[in-house]
Amino acid sequence: MTEFLPQNQIDSFKAKAAAIAHPHEMIVDLLRAIQLHHGWVPDDGVLLTAATLGVLPIEVEEVATFYDKIFRREVGKRVIHVCDSICCWATGAEMITEHLKKALGIGLGETTTDGIFTLLPTCCLGACGDAPAMMIGFTTHGLLTTEKIDDILQKERAAVAAEIFA
Amino acid sequence: MPKLTIDNLEVTVPEGINVLEAARELDIIIPHFCYHEALGSVGSCRLCAMMFVDGPVKGLQMACMIQAQDGMVVSSTDPDAIELREHVIEWAMTNHPHDCPVCDEGGECQLQEMTVAGGHGVRRYSGKKCTFTNQNLGPFVQQEMNRCITCYRCVRTYRDYCGGTDYGVFGSRNRIQYARFREGALESPFSGNIIDACPTGVLTSKPFRFKTRLWDLQEAPSICPHCSLGCATVPGGRYREVQRVKAGINRETNGFFICDRGRFGYDHVNHPERPRQGRLDGQPVTVNAALLAAREQVTAIASKHGPDSVAFLGSSRSSFEASVLLHDWAKATGSQQLVFEAHQGRDRAARTLTAQLGKHVRSQEELRQSDLVILFGADPLAEGPMLALAIRQAVRNGGKVVVIDPRPVELPCAASYLPLSPEKLPEVLVALGKKDFNAFEADERVLLESLVEQLKSAQRPVLIGGADLLGGKGVQALCAAAEKFTSDERSVGVITLLAGPNSYGGALLAGDGPDFDSILDAVQEGTVRALVCLESDPFREARDPARAHAALGHLELLVSFDSTPNLAAQRADIFLPTRANAEMAGSYVNNEGRLQAFMPVIDPGVPIRETGAGNHPPREFFQITPGSSPEADWLLLAGLLERELDLVGLRESIEKDHPPFAGLSSIAAETTGVRLTAQGTLPPAEEQELPHAADSEALTLMAITGQIGSCWLAHLSSPLAATEPQPYVILHPELAAELNLAADERARLTTHFGHCHIVIRTDEKMLKSLILVPQLWDTALEGMVPGGMLDCRLEKEAQR
Repeated sequence: MTEFLPQNQIDSFKAKAAAIAHPHEMIVDLLRAIQLHHGWVPDDGVLLTAATLGVLPIEVEEVATFYDKIFRREVGKRVIHVCDSICCWATGAEMITEHLKKALGIGLGETTTDGIFTLLPTCCLGACGDAPAMMIGFTTHGLLTTEKIDDILQKERAAVAAEIFA
Repeated sequence: MPKLTIDNLEVTVPEGINVLEAARELDIIIPHFCYHEALGSVGSCRLCAMMFVDGPVKGLQMACMIQAQDGMVVSSTDPDAIELREHVIEWAMTNHPHDCPVCDEGGECQLQEMTVAGGHGVRRYSGKKCTFTNQNLGPFVQQEMNRCITCYRCVRTYRDYCGGTDYGVFGSRNRIQYARFREGALESPFSGNIIDACPTGVLTSKPFRFKTRLWDLQEAPSICPHCSLGCATVPGGRYREVQRVKAGINRETNGFFICDRGRFGYDHVNHPERPRQGRLDGQPVTVNAALLAAREQVTAIASKHGPDSVAFLGSSRSSFEASVLLHDWAKATGSQQLVFEAHQGRDRAARTLTAQLGKHVRSQEELRQSDLVILFGADPLAEGPMLALAIRQAVRNGGKVVVIDPRPVELPCAASYLPLSPEKLPEVLVALGKKDFNAFEADERVLLESLVEQLKSAQRPVLIGGADLLGGKGVQALCAAAEKFTSDERSVGVITLLAGPNSYGGALLAGDGPDFDSILDAVQEGTVRALVCLESDPFREARDPARAHAALGHLELLVSFDSTPNLAAQRADIFLPTRANAEMAGSYVNNEGRLQAFMPVIDPGVPIRETGAGNHPPREFFQITPGSSPEADWLLLAGLLERELDLVGLRESIEKDHPPFAGLSSIAAETTGVRLTAQGTLPPAEEQELPHAADSEALTLMAITGQIGSCWLAHLSSPLAATEPQPYVILHPELAAELNLAADERARLTTHFGHCHIVIRTDEKMLKSLILVPQLWDTALEGMVPGGMLDCRLEKEAQR
């Protein structure tokens, strides 16, 4: 069976959930822990979350599908969230997105054949001052240009390769 | 009482209502989606905008979110308000597929009405529409997500009001989808309510799909015939068949919702084997000929062998008017052998209730406001599902629920459980009154002692009983306990789940006459020679069916009036076909003594789908509609007794003859009904209980009413019959382990009826020492008459 989360982490979530009045508050934390460990949250991850916290599967799914940073489908090793909100749009986000599509050879919502990148549109990243912006993992990249994007993609690709060979 | 001005009209409204409701008092309907009287206001659809011109609130506001206050001046016709509503509806319609011509909601679509009312006529949005993959939500509800305008009403109905746990809302913004986590049948026994709640064609009735355009559907206000609660319904029919049922509105009983049994249990009316022809000694005859023969032969036997040689068995599913006429027939014959329920326990429970309920009477609405609900031997989801929903509303209003029962009583809300054996139920009621719990175990004592305190301090407590388990003795103890805890400030309420829609009405008429078990004795001895059954089946409803079969074989004459293919109808010497509830006008008295009228939807006749069968229509031609001879039960009896043949005249004459039923002539359908003040009479003293568990090696089995499969009319309805389970038994996991059995395993159940194969279910909430077996029609468990206790053995199925 696939391990979605190490047992010690499950136990610790269980203990925390039992100690608080509203275990629903921990749904996001647990989903993110599963995502960090497994890369994304499959159906069984939703069920595991429900069972661990003692809430209904439907309640977990409602949260999981509400947030676009919780992945309910398999994604690449690096997910690129490219902003399409007003400030980025005004500073050329459409051109940025087009460049990303071309550089990666995929459309929005798709994953590269090598399984490294997934490209997703996102609403505001809170980086309006640095528009146009995108986010990879927890890193926000602002004031994007095509050259800068090529550079970032190359570095990320190298980092993934290093992870695999490490 | 605030006084406000809406559209230049002054109106004084009750405290606490919102402006949308206040406008409705003036017949000004503000377009809205998310507001619903039972679900409340959430202000999420943004459609009910009104301009608050003057007073405590100013500006453009959502009318459903603002409480009506003194001095408010509000306009629904303000240009800004109209423009906002126009934009909101246009925006709600951006992704809608405009498939009205092929949509099942067409004809009663609130979205269509509100789009017109909101002034949105021409579509300007030319972008791509969001589309969804639908789920198969089981046999009752059809989903078409693309039509959704995300009003949230389905989730608020299913999850919040009905307590369902398997349907929710996913995604955000234009990706919002209402669905189950995984495709599959909706689990809530109230799932059909989302069909009524959905303002458009996202959730429609699957059994009703593609049957009839709604403007061709004949509808009339009716009362549900499936249990004793008397919920308001609106059946719809066409092509000589009842095709669907939707919830009616009665704020005192069901409110706005009904259960799935009531909604999908209509099909017994269209049953292919339904007897539709009068019959005399096996030969088809006209209804008139059968009626004359019935009168003649009953009179002949009565004059030859004395009036008590004829017995009359009414039923809880007959109209109140017919029950009165059966009573009058027995009286005219001079017979004392009259009873309205073949099941002894249910009969005694109903009669005891009518004699002792008095001021303790409570409606479903009063139950919804209760702060303490205690169930003694009552399983609402099996015996009267809507009561479970009323209990849930009590919990949502802050009430507490305690269940004292040997069964694992399932409720759509939180409750505390005390499993007790059925014999102990009357005892515990007496003990509560005396505060003497010496006969109980230590842990039981703790809960019971705290219950006494809760009962004393509760403001609106209600005790709920069930006829199956309590019988006459239990209901008497229930009413006595309510009396005991009643103080000068408030009385303790009582609600008892009875067998059928007119159990209470029949019980009022039964007086202190014999119960059916004593009539069976008289049949066995030969003193009773003729039995008239009014929509009842003594072969299968009596407490001991084997005994009933043996005794009833001695009858000289069996007369049956019925609308279903039951055993009495099949075996009767004289048979008279009656109309189903949806085919006639009449009234029922529900379990709180509420007299309610129902109206006919269609006339009887063999459904057209049945004669056509997809081929060429039949080439034979008749002057009369095939299968149209059934008549209303009261009309047949009125003809036989030469009484008034019109309902108005009959009701007036009943009122004259029976002063306690005052009000009968003035009842009307689609009202809250009239609570009868008539008081019943206690049944005669009870005979010895049937012995059980004599064999100490054997296990004890208790027959129960199951949630699905135990209701005769529901069993005859194809949409519900399709959901009936395989025969099963329920036992405590500890007992299962002792017997080396596990859940979902097949096992062999042995009783004096013989062997049968069943599936094991386990439940921790139930009593450890009992095995629960549901009565399931047309299976090996058909003879398990609820409330009965038997010795049994339960073994693992031999491995093949």
